Amino acid sequence: MNPQSPLSRARRRLKHDRAALFGIVVLLLLALGAGLAPFLAPDPETLDLSAIYAAPSMDHWLGADELGRDVLARLLNGARVSLAVAAATALLAALIGTSLGLLAGYYGGRLDAALMRITDGVMALPLLPLLIVLAAIDPSKLGIAPETLGSEDFAIGRIVLIIGLVGWTTVARLVRAQTLSIKARDYVRAATAIGAGPGRIMRRHILPNVASPIVVATTLSIGNIILIESALSFLGLGIRPPLASWGNMLTGAMNVVWSAPEQALWPGLAIFLTVLAFNLVGDGLQRALDPRGEEG
Amino acid sequence: MTHHIASRTLQSLAVLLVMSFVVYGLIGLMPGDPIDLMIASDPHLTGADAVRLKALYGLDKPWTERYLRWLMQVLQGELGYSRLYARPVLDAMLPALANTALLMLGALTLALVVAIPLGIAAALRPGSAFDHGVNLVAFASVSLPTFWLGLMLIVVFAVHLGWLPASGMEEVTGGGGLADRLRHMILPVLTLGLAGMGQYIRHMRAAMLGEAHHDYVRTARAKGCGPARVVLVHQLRNALIPVTTILALEVGGLFSGALITETVFAWPGMGRLIYEAVMGNDFNLALVGLLLATAMTLLGSILADLAYAALDRRVSYK
Amino acid sequence: MTLPPRLLAALMLLCLGFAAPARAKDELVIGIYQVPATFHPNIESMLAKTYILDMASRPFTAYDAQWKLVCLLCETLPTLENGLAKPEKINGGSQGVALTYTIRAEAKWADGTPVTTEDVLFTMDAGRHPLSGVSNAEIYRRILKVEVKDKKTFVLHMDRLTFDYNAINDLRLLPAHLERPRFDKPAEYRNRTAYDQDTTNPGLYNGPFRITQVVQGSHVVLEPNAHWDGKKPAFRRIVVKIVENTAALEANLLSGGVDMIAGELGLPLDQAIAFEKRNGKNYAVTYKPGLVYEHIDVNFASPIMADKRVRQALMLALDRDLVNKQLFDGRQPVALTAINPLDSVHTDAVTHYKYDPAKAAALLDAAGWKQSGSVRRNDKGEPLALELGTTAGNRSRELVAQVLQAQWRKIGADVRLKAEPPRVFFAESVTKRQFPHMALFAWYSAPESVPRTTLHSTQIPSEKNNWSGQNYPGYVNPRMDELIDAIEVELNRPKRVALWHELQRIYAEDLPALPLFFRADAFILPKQLKGLVPTGHQDPSTLWVEQWRWDTAEDAPPVAEKTEPEKKKKNGKAKNHS
Repeated sequence: MNPQSPLSRARRRLKHDRAALFGIVVLLLLALGAGLAPFLAPDPETLDLSAIYAAPSMDHWLGADELGRDVLARLLNGARVSLAVAAATALLAALIGTSLGLLAGYYGGRLDAALMRITDGVMALPLLPLLIVLAAIDPSKLGIAPETLGSEDFAIGRIVLIIGLVGWTTVARLVRAQTLSIKARDYVRAATAIGAGPGRIMRRHILPNVASPIVVATTLSIGNIILIESALSFLGLGIRPPLASWGNMLTGAMNVVWSAPEQALWPGLAIFLTVLAFNLVGDGLQRALDPRGEEG
Repeated sequence: MTHHIASRTLQSLAVLLVMSFVVYGLIGLMPGDPIDLMIASDPHLTGADAVRLKALYGLDKPWTERYLRWLMQVLQGELGYSRLYARPVLDAMLPALANTALLMLGALTLALVVAIPLGIAAALRPGSAFDHGVNLVAFASVSLPTFWLGLMLIVVFAVHLGWLPASGMEEVTGGGGLADRLRHMILPVLTLGLAGMGQYIRHMRAAMLGEAHHDYVRTARAKGCGPARVVLVHQLRNALIPVTTILALEVGGLFSGALITETVFAWPGMGRLIYEAVMGNDFNLALVGLLLATAMTLLGSILADLAYAALDRRVSYK
Repeated sequence: MTLPPRLLAALMLLCLGFAAPARAKDELVIGIYQVPATFHPNIESMLAKTYILDMASRPFTAYDAQWKLVCLLCETLPTLENGLAKPEKINGGSQGVALTYTIRAEAKWADGTPVTTEDVLFTMDAGRHPLSGVSNAEIYRRILKVEVKDKKTFVLHMDRLTFDYNAINDLRLLPAHLERPRFDKPAEYRNRTAYDQDTTNPGLYNGPFRITQVVQGSHVVLEPNAHWDGKKPAFRRIVVKIVENTAALEANLLSGGVDMIAGELGLPLDQAIAFEKRNGKNYAVTYKPGLVYEHIDVNFASPIMADKRVRQALMLALDRDLVNKQLFDGRQPVALTAINPLDSVHTDAVTHYKYDPAKAAALLDAAGWKQSGSVRRNDKGEPLALELGTTAGNRSRELVAQVLQAQWRKIGADVRLKAEPPRVFFAESVTKRQFPHMALFAWYSAPESVPRTTLHSTQIPSEKNNWSGQNYPGYVNPRMDELIDAIEVELNRPKRVALWHELQRIYAEDLPALPLFFRADAFILPKQLKGLVPTGHQDPSTLWVEQWRWDTAEDAPPVAEKTEPEKKKKNGKAKNHS
């Protein structure tokens, strides 16, 4: 056994993981497409009423939608929205989960009990109905200025907040469990003995050690978040047109699934492939970062 | 053990109480009450009508006061009327509950029947091409957006092939027989089952692999028992523990239904009912529905603990 | 691995054998997308309920497919000419009217109990009681007194004499013999009514059909009322199947799960058009443009929108003909004003806003909005930024909103869309006049209905009047108020029509709302179904359900023999509507 850093070992393992590689390639292509969207396809919000449901052509590679907008452009733009929402939500959830998990695991006792009961409570909530209640709340009743309400950023921010607020439980539990076991290790005890404060111990000793499970859990959660976002948009409670998202493209496509089935095909496939890619990469990371995992 | 259950139950009740308050408040934060909607849809409704109706439905009081009154009634066993369905809440909810249970049981059965053998088979040949294939199937399953899957199934089986009905629970004329009901169940059950089986495959496989490393399996092998016997008798029993746990947790979710699948297939279940109640400002129905769903999830997790303890003697609660 | 042939056959049978259950010819399955709530005729107004209930119970009067007022439950429509309507002075000295109605001699509830003035009295009691939960109490306020002449004849003393004095469409009878005992505690009546607790009780219905089964969230079954005195219905069973999602609704039609899709509660127009293009030859698809007025309310509280030139410029910048042609296959007539071209008081002699971007630009220039970059700005440098609110979930409307946005962008108006769920949109944004600039939605109305609630200056919703009234724009024009007051009480038709014409001219010039289209409903019917006539207004086609039948010219169904003799007998009896 030659000594090697966990990171290089992980990289080597990933290289042999065909499924994870496939996921990475898909995600890279997606990011590339989303980034290059303005050069690849026309403006996603330009209407052409003479091209409604146009078949694929040189002008519209994947055809046009119910208002003659370019489907490819909307798919790529939808990718930007979906990925932005997913990334922001996953980060938010990871942040909340990590903080609560660290606090609960490190301090234990009543704080731990209270935080874990809250976690249990949130986990017991029926997710989709609750999200619907949250999405239907009128933000102006909370005293938010009407100018901000209409903006696209607010629409995205709102979804992020809603899903993030219920999505942090897995990370919190993971981090708590890890913190508990690391806290008992000798080097942490030693650090405490020489007078390191709780903040420093959590930052310097515990956080680095729980980083990889957090990364894995967060990657795996992104796929789920994309599914939830698209379901909410599908129900008309998420991202609303004219801003394109995969979920709301499917809502429109659903009505004409008989006359123009390809309209439903593309956004659905996009969701499926993206979620699959994130899951495969997450799974690959999990195995690659697992210190006990076997080689090969 | 008893102590553990008692404390868990108490905690669950507390969660429910908090939940009822929060949900009541959240629905209160949703704009518009039923009367506002009536005014918008009926040009002849005057201001006087609005005042009269708001007082009649108790909507002229602040929501905290309404909540307390509601809570008192519920504690006395009076769940009230559903405004939307114009009948007692339980009467409106029971048929939906039964429909959802039917759908979810079908889907769970399908998922388990496929997932358990696949998970075992994959675990027997870890790293093989078959294992990779199963793994991919599992991931594909958890990555499928159910509304899209449902839509595609309808396109293929109901429209192109015309083999199966696209929606509903039974033919409205001449239907209702067992065969008819089964035919209507196929597509929604397939949708939910396909999307749900992935996680069971993964859990089953992981649990089987986890068991394979334990000493007792090695001992059994060393004693010369054939691989088949080892698998069946020793591994399986222990590997089923985590799967059962997850199952118990899932059963709770059964009560909030599968909103998306129910929407796509026009299946009158709980998910749909709660959604309608929330959107239609039917306080009583929405609250009882959401609370029931939460209660069942909490109950599920207590059951999961119990199942875990009962099946695995290494765990005990003091 | 091969399946044994027998097993294969069994599987095929399971899949195919029951695929299309042979439906008897005397059954009809109708698909609609909305779930009816209560079945009580006077509590909550909801289209799905009205649609179903109109097969099972009849209002006294209604507008028919020719938009003429007819008697359904009464013998003769009282008029000033036939002497059954007599003007009278009422207490305050204002002009009222006494109307004499006679209930059809043979009208019976489906349990055999005759429909009598006793039912009228109970309906009035329930309607007037403040705790009964009756939502629309306007008719009960207008009726000052009911005078019972005998079992069948009664006189209504109304508090005003309007041109549509004899229309009592909202008076829907409740069966006193079933409902009065449940009314002993009026505050609990809305929960105890037999319409919800005992929905299948035949005694609740006086129409050609009665509700015999309700499967919540799935379907409602109606069967003939044995005591119905009118034309014998041709169907032994009518099932109304509720499929809330219109794609699934279409699938049901294609797979034979439903026979027809009701236009009143059916597919969005673009979906129906796409459907017709592929399957049109197998169905009779009828588009009925009607009294559903798609328009944009403008908020006069906004200084931008209060400027008439801006409103006119916004109209001129819209190519509504193009939208109609491309999006709706030319099926939705472009609206000149709020008055439907099919309405007899409609006039064409008003300002037309043909697509004219140059003129629109000139108007905006004149109003002080100068082009700078892609957006126009005023001299203070503020951009011409407007918000267009609309209902989320109404697909056709959301599409239109996006097209409007694109067309306005071309003349330098930056329009932002805000789609809200209907409950938010109507209950807050619109009703409480919180929409900053524009709100896109539709009005449903009856023929020749006076736009008092939407245009009269006393009808502006405010905190003070509990947000009632529907003059959401906040439009104030004294001449408009005068016209509305005058039209309501002008009994002379030519004079009234002249007033109507002036109203439309002012409307088109002032633009209190931006007119868009009259929405068309798409009726998708089986080719053999005859007798269903779309009305194009808020009284649904089911009010004449007894006229519906399969066209038996091509293939006479064997079941017809059974019903034939009876049909002949009943046919002899006069119907008071046709």
